[in-house]
Amino acid sequence: MLADFFSILLGLLDRPPAKPLNFASAMRAIAPKTPGQHPTRQDPDGFDRLYRDHVDLMYRYAYRLCGEAEAAKDLVQETFLNAYQGLKDFRGDARVSTWLYTIASRACIRMRRKRKGQPEHELSMEEFVPTSEGEFRLQIPIDGLSPEEALQNKELRKALDQAIEQLPPKYRMALVLRDMEGLSAKEVGAIMGVNERAVKSRLHRARLFVRRELSARGITHHDGHKHKGSHS
Amino acid sequence: MTKTKKTTPAPRKQSQTSTHGHSHRQGDCVALLRQLSAYIDDELPSDVCTEIRRHMGACPNCEVFIASLQHTVTLCRHRPAPQLTSVDRKNMRRAILDAANAQ
Repeated sequence: MLADFFSILLGLLDRPPAKPLNFASAMRAIAPKTPGQHPTRQDPDGFDRLYRDHVDLMYRYAYRLCGEAEAAKDLVQETFLNAYQGLKDFRGDARVSTWLYTIASRACIRMRRKRKGQPEHELSMEEFVPTSEGEFRLQIPIDGLSPEEALQNKELRKALDQAIEQLPPKYRMALVLRDMEGLSAKEVGAIMGVNERAVKSRLHRARLFVRRELSARGITHHDGHKHKGSHS
Repeated sequence: MTKTKKTTPAPRKQSQTSTHGHSHRQGDCVALLRQLSAYIDDELPSDVCTEIRRHMGACPNCEVFIASLQHTVTLCRHRPAPQLTSVDRKNMRRAILDAANAQ
């Protein structure tokens, strides 16, 4: 029995030292077998699976945050690089997608600060309180159309994208995560590092901002007439 | 609607005399406006929802306002995002691996 133990021990000592991990093998060690599953240490194809299962999700999110393709690609690359660097801190408490959304959100804020260095602009509720009947009655011309049909209107699509792009970053992030990515307020709070109440407040102001921008433009209906927004 | 904050600016125009003839104060509309996202997301108690629906029935302004906000949310939810090409995916994966191994 004791001899067996020593022979096993000597066998282990004779083995060559393990090769240092490169990025791909490190990711193989932690990445999930299926989307949303916590990383494990026994998965041989981890990095490719992690990348394959989440790159489209991250690109979609990045594009909605950045508003253009090249910046979105930069953000996705930064996200996966940061994911690698933060592996040791990932405890598996959240879904992998939530973890990646968090990394992407922080990377986006960092990249934006580097580029522009502008302070965050706050949206006040008071600025959305209509002061005239006309402002109350601004409309968005999609009555009778499905959302897909309405979004075939290039002018409306452009107006929507521009309105979202003009939102200050923390409001845009709340709107994108909640209304476009379809996450719950609780998940958005976890990603943005704020409570649900703050998420709902930011989301409401973001929606009011986009509504005002869209309705104030005067978008041409599919039938060709110009929709003025205001009834007054 | 009873949630109007004291800091809310005084309404410039009282709807009691408005041309569309509803009888509440505009402060009621402002209080409603603050809750519209919660209403759209179905997060309010049923008695508050009933109160909002009653208000909208008597207030064409708020009815139009909530419809436009609902349209905004619907458009956001259905706005498709562009997709990566397979070449983009491959190139980005290569760039990530290169950058990580260079560190």
